Amino acid sequence: MKLAVFVSDYRMTVDTLDRLSPEKMGIILVQNGVYHATLKENGTPSSILNKSAEFYALKEDLETRGLDTSMVDSKVKVITLGELVDLMFNDYEKTAWI
Amino acid sequence: MGKLTIGCFASLVGSLNLDFAVKLSAAAIEKGHTVDLWVSGNGTMLSIKDQRPFKDYSHLEKPLKELMAKGLTVTACEACAEARGYNKDVTMEGFKRHSMDWYLASTFDADRVLHIGGE
Repeated sequence: MKLAVFVSDYRMTVDTLDRLSPEKMGIILVQNGVYHATLKENGTPSSILNKSAEFYALKEDLETRGLDTSMVDSKVKVITLGELVDLMFNDYEKTAWI
Repeated sequence: MGKLTIGCFASLVGSLNLDFAVKLSAAAIEKGHTVDLWVSGNGTMLSIKDQRPFKDYSHLEKPLKELMAKGLTVTACEACAEARGYNKDVTMEGFKRHSMDWYLASTFDADRVLHIGGE
C-alpha cells in the first residue's frame, strides 16, 4: 500500500510513524509539521527525517511561519497545495493524519 | 479526475485544521476533482453564518461560499452541531446537515479520503 502521512505538528516523539510500514510512504509536513523540515536541535535534524520515506513540506505553511525554502533540509521537497492534490491522487492511495 | 472526501474534526481555538481542509478543497476543485467536505465536533462551527471577519483571524465563510458555488459539497454532523447550539437558523445557506452515515457513504465512493484531526 502507498501511504501518505500528513504530519501536522512538531511533537518530537512521533511514535505513530514507527508503527507504520507501508510498501511506500510519503511524509507530508503541513502546518506546524513543517518545522521538522527546518529546525535542528543541537545541530541534529528532526528524527522524522530518518524514516525511509519521501518527504514533502507545504510551501504555504513554510511561508506563513517565515521559513525560507533555503532553510529546508535537502531530503524534503517543497510543494504547493496543487502539487499536494496531484500527489494524493497519483502517487499515494491511502492517507493518515497525525 | 476523481473524488476526494475530507473529514475534519477540528480541535479548539488555534487549530488550523479547518483552514487546511478548506484550502485543500479549493486546490482539488481547481484541479477538476469533486470534493465532499464533512465537519464534525468543533469543526461544525464552520457551518455558522454571519461570522465576522477580523484581521489576522481565520475567516472561512467567504472562501467557502465561493467553493460551494464551484461545486463543493459541505456537510456538518447534525448531532455535533446541535450539541453546540448551532441549529438550522444559524446555518449557512447551502451547508448540509446529516448524521455520520453521510460521511461514511461519501468515503465509500471516493477515490481518496483524508480524515483530519480529532486530537
